Amino acid sequence: MTIANTGPLAPVATHRRRPYGLLLVATPVLLVAWLVIWPIISAVIQTAFVTTADGGSAVSLETYSFFFSDGYSLSNLSMTLWTTGVCAALLLVVCLPIALYLRFSDSKVAAYVQGLAIFPMFVPSIILSFAFIRVLGPNGTVDLLLNSVGLPHIRSPYLTPWGPVIGLVWDNIPLTVLILLSGLGNVSNQSVEAARDVGAGKFALLWHIILPRISNSILVAISFAVLGIFSAFTLPYILGPAAPEMMGPFMQRTFRELLESKTAITQAVVTFGFCIVFGLFYVRSVAKNRAA
Amino acid sequence: MAATLVSRKTDWTGIIFAAVLTLVIVFPLVVVGTWAFTNVWRYPSVIPQEFGLRFWNQTLARADVWSSISTSLTLAFTVTALSAAICLPAAYAFARLDFPGRNLLFFSFLAGHAFPKFGLLVAIAGIFLQLNLIGTFWGVVLIQLVGTLLFMIWIPVAAFQAVDRRMEEAARDVGASPFRVFWSITLPQAGPTIAAAILLSFVGTFYETEGAWLIGAPQVRTLPVLMISFINNQPVIQYGAVLSVLLWVPSFIALLFARKVVNSGSFARGFGG
Amino acid sequence: MSVLKIKDVSKIFPNGTTAVDSFSLDVADGELVCLLGPSGSGKSTLLRMVGGFETPTSGLMTIDGEDITRVPPEKRPTGMVFQSHALWTHMNVFKNLAFGLKLRKVPADEIKRRVEGVLELVGLGGYGTRSVTQLSGGQQQRVALARSLVLEPKILLLDEPFASLDQHLRERLREEVRDIQQRLKITTLFVTHGQDEALSMADRIVVMRDGKTEQIDRPDVVYREPQTPFVAGFIGTMNLIEGVVANGVFSKAGYSTPVPVSDGPVTLAIRPEAVDLTAASQNAHGKVHRVTDYGTHGLVDLELLDGTRMKAMVPHPDLFKPGQGVTLALRAVAAYRDGAVIYRTGVVTPVSHPALVDA
Repeated sequence: MTIANTGPLAPVATHRRRPYGLLLVATPVLLVAWLVIWPIISAVIQTAFVTTADGGSAVSLETYSFFFSDGYSLSNLSMTLWTTGVCAALLLVVCLPIALYLRFSDSKVAAYVQGLAIFPMFVPSIILSFAFIRVLGPNGTVDLLLNSVGLPHIRSPYLTPWGPVIGLVWDNIPLTVLILLSGLGNVSNQSVEAARDVGAGKFALLWHIILPRISNSILVAISFAVLGIFSAFTLPYILGPAAPEMMGPFMQRTFRELLESKTAITQAVVTFGFCIVFGLFYVRSVAKNRAA
Repeated sequence: MAATLVSRKTDWTGIIFAAVLTLVIVFPLVVVGTWAFTNVWRYPSVIPQEFGLRFWNQTLARADVWSSISTSLTLAFTVTALSAAICLPAAYAFARLDFPGRNLLFFSFLAGHAFPKFGLLVAIAGIFLQLNLIGTFWGVVLIQLVGTLLFMIWIPVAAFQAVDRRMEEAARDVGASPFRVFWSITLPQAGPTIAAAILLSFVGTFYETEGAWLIGAPQVRTLPVLMISFINNQPVIQYGAVLSVLLWVPSFIALLFARKVVNSGSFARGFGG
Repeated sequence: MSVLKIKDVSKIFPNGTTAVDSFSLDVADGELVCLLGPSGSGKSTLLRMVGGFETPTSGLMTIDGEDITRVPPEKRPTGMVFQSHALWTHMNVFKNLAFGLKLRKVPADEIKRRVEGVLELVGLGGYGTRSVTQLSGGQQQRVALARSLVLEPKILLLDEPFASLDQHLRERLREEVRDIQQRLKITTLFVTHGQDEALSMADRIVVMRDGKTEQIDRPDVVYREPQTPFVAGFIGTMNLIEGVVANGVFSKAGYSTPVPVSDGPVTLAIRPEAVDLTAASQNAHGKVHRVTDYGTHGLVDLELLDGTRMKAMVPHPDLFKPGQGVTLALRAVAAYRDGAVIYRTGVVTPVSHPALVDA
C-alpha cells in the first residue's frame, strides 16, 4: 500500500486523528510563540507606539527617526552592510571553487579537502577569535615569521573592519560549502558529459550548465550567510573596531551597558527590516526542500 | 562519482586546495595548541623558548575557571535534557500522529531562523527585562532552549519517519502494546539519529556565547563568556590558550560522532541547500 | 485448529473510498485461502483488518466463534508475515523470534527450545546469532515466517510475502511455505496478486475486484469455470471476444459458432488451448500475426478479419507462418452477459504451463 506524499509531512493513518497529538507538541510550540513570535511582535509594537501624557498610546516612529538621523547609528549600520556584503562575496569566491572541486573529484585529496572545509563547524567562534589574535594580531605568529626573515610587520587586521570579515568568512565556510555541494548534487554527471560531448569548454560548462542549476542553492547559501553575519556578535565584538561597530555589538552595548532597552530593540527591528527578504527566502527554500 | 573535470593523474587542484586550507584552517589552531603547552615564548623567537604544563596547573587552579566549567556543564545538561523532554514527544507526534494544524506548527519552528539571530535575542531580552530574567540561570536556560528547538524537532521527526511502519505493526502483531512498540522498536530504530541530534544540541548549547553574554553575563558566567573576558582583559596568553584547548574537548567528541550525520546530504538539505 | 469467519465486512476510508465492500468469507480449519486480485482490489486492506491493523467500518470477524472485530492486533491470535519482511534490524535472528515469547513471559529455556525448533522448521537451524541484515532476501522471509510461527498463531496471515524475491526463489519458497502450512495444519489467509502463486498454493482462491468477491472456488475450478468475465480475463490467458448472438449463433467478423442463448450481446471466453487452428488458404477466419515457439508447444497470435486479436495454442508451431490464413474451431467456450456466465460448453483439460499462466 503506497500513499502519495502530498504534504511536507507524510500523511499518517487518519483513524488516529485525536487531539492528543496537539498536547504532545504544545510545549515547544508555545515556547516558540512566547520566545520567538511574541518578542518580534512586541518589539515592533513597543517601538512604534509611545505613551502619551494622558496615559493613552499613540503611533510614533520617534525611535526610528532618531536611529536614522543619528550619525553614529548610521555609520554602524553602513559598516554592518559593508561587512555583510564583503563577507557574502568572499564566501562565494572561496566556497564555490571548493564545492566544484569536491563535486567533480574522487581523489583521496578530495576527502581531505572536504574534511578541512567542514572542520570550522567544530571550532567554536570564541576559540577562532583567540586563534585569530594569536596568529594575525600584534606580535602574532605571522609577525614572528615575517620578522624572522627580515620583513616588516603586517598591518594587523585585528580591531579593524577586516578582522570580523576574516573571522566570519572562516566561520561560515562549512555550511556554505555543504549547501553548495548539496545543490551541485542535482547536476548529473550525464548532463556534464553531454555538454562536454557537444564541445563545451570548462568555462562554458560552468556558466551554461552548472551555475543555472545551482543558482537556487547559491541564493540559499547567501541568505543563510547574510542572516548569520548581519547581526553577528562574538567575532565583531572581539575582532572588530570599537567604533564604528557592527549591529551585534552595538545592540548589546545599548542594551546591557547603556541600559536603553527601547533603543536596542529599535536597532533589532532595523536589522529585521534589512534581513526580511533573505529571511523569507531562506525559510521558503527550507520549507520547500523539506516538502520535496 | 566519475572524475569528469579533474584529471586522474596528479590532483594538483586538490593539492593546492589542501595546502591552502591546511594553512588557513589548521595552522591557527596549531598555534593555539602550541601556546597551551608553552611556559615561555617571548618575541621574536619563532618557536617557544620553553615547553611545559605550567599554565595548565595555573589555569586549573583558578576558581573562576572551575565555576564556569560547572556552570557551562550544568547549563548544557539542563538545556539538553529539557529540550529532549519536550521535543522528542513532539517530534514523535509530528511524525506519527495527525492533528489540526500539524504542518503549520511544524514549520513554525523555522520562524526563529527567518530573523537575524542577535536581533531576535535582543527582542527576547526586552521581554526578559520585564520578567526579571536578565542575569539569571533560568533566563539563559530559556534562551538557549529556544535555540535548540528546530534541530531537536526536525532531526528526530526525520528519524521517526524513517522507521518502517511494518516493523512496528509486526511488533503489535506478536503481542506488544503500543507503548512497548515505541520502547522496543521505534526508539532503538531511530536511536542513532536522535543521539546525534542530542549530541549536537548539547555541543551547541555548550558553545552558545551570544545569548549567555547578553542575558546571563556577568552573573551567569559560562566558559565562552569567561573566554571573552580572558581575551579582553587577561595579559597572560596561556590562560586563554589552555582554556581554548579545554573548551574544544566537547567539540572534538562531537566531531568523532556526528561527522557522518554532518557529511550526509540530508544535513545540508536541512539548511535549505 | 481454528476457523476464521468474516461476515459483511466493509471498510470505507476517511477520504470516502470503499476499499472493502460487505465481504464475507469462511476459512475452514487448516485451510489455505488465497485472496487474489489486482492492486486496489481491497485484498491487502482485508488482510490488515483480520490482523487488526485496520478497523472495519462495519461487519463482524470471528476466530473460533470469538468476536475479534475490535480487538487490537497485540491481543489477536493472528500472526502476520509482511511483504517487506519488517524484521527488526536492531535485533539478531534469535531476538526477533524471541520477542513475542518474552512478551508472553515464556521461561528462557523454553524460548530457546521453541525458537530453535522453528528455525529448524524453516531451514535456518543455527542462524540465531546472525544479524538479520546479513541474511539474503529468502532467508529474511523465512525469519519473518518463523517469527510468526513461533507464537503458534491460530490464523497465519501472509501479505504478498514473496513479492520482493526473484522468480526462482519465489517458486521454491512457496513450496516450502505450503509444506510447512500443511504439516502444521495452520489456518492461513494469503494475499497475492500473482495468479501462479494462488493456483499453486491455495486450497481455495477468492478473486477480488473493487472490494468485492468475484468468485470463491478451488484453484482448478476458478481456472476452468470462471464465473465472471473479470475472473476469466484475470486468471491465465483467455481470449475475450465481444460479439452478438442471433438465433443461437454467435457471430464476429465473419466467424460464427453456435451459442445456445437468447439474442443479444455476449462476451465469449476461450482459452488458447481450446482453439484448434488449421492452415487454410481459402475461407480463412483470420491470419497468423506471430508465432512463438515455447519448445513444448507454440502460441499463435492471430488476427480475425476485423482485426480482433486472439491467441491459440498449437502443438506444432512450425506449421504456421506469419501472414498465413487460418480457420478456427473452438472446443470449449463460455459466454458471459451482464457480468455473469450464461453458457458453458464442456470443460477442456488445461495444459498448464508457466508460460501461459504467467502471461
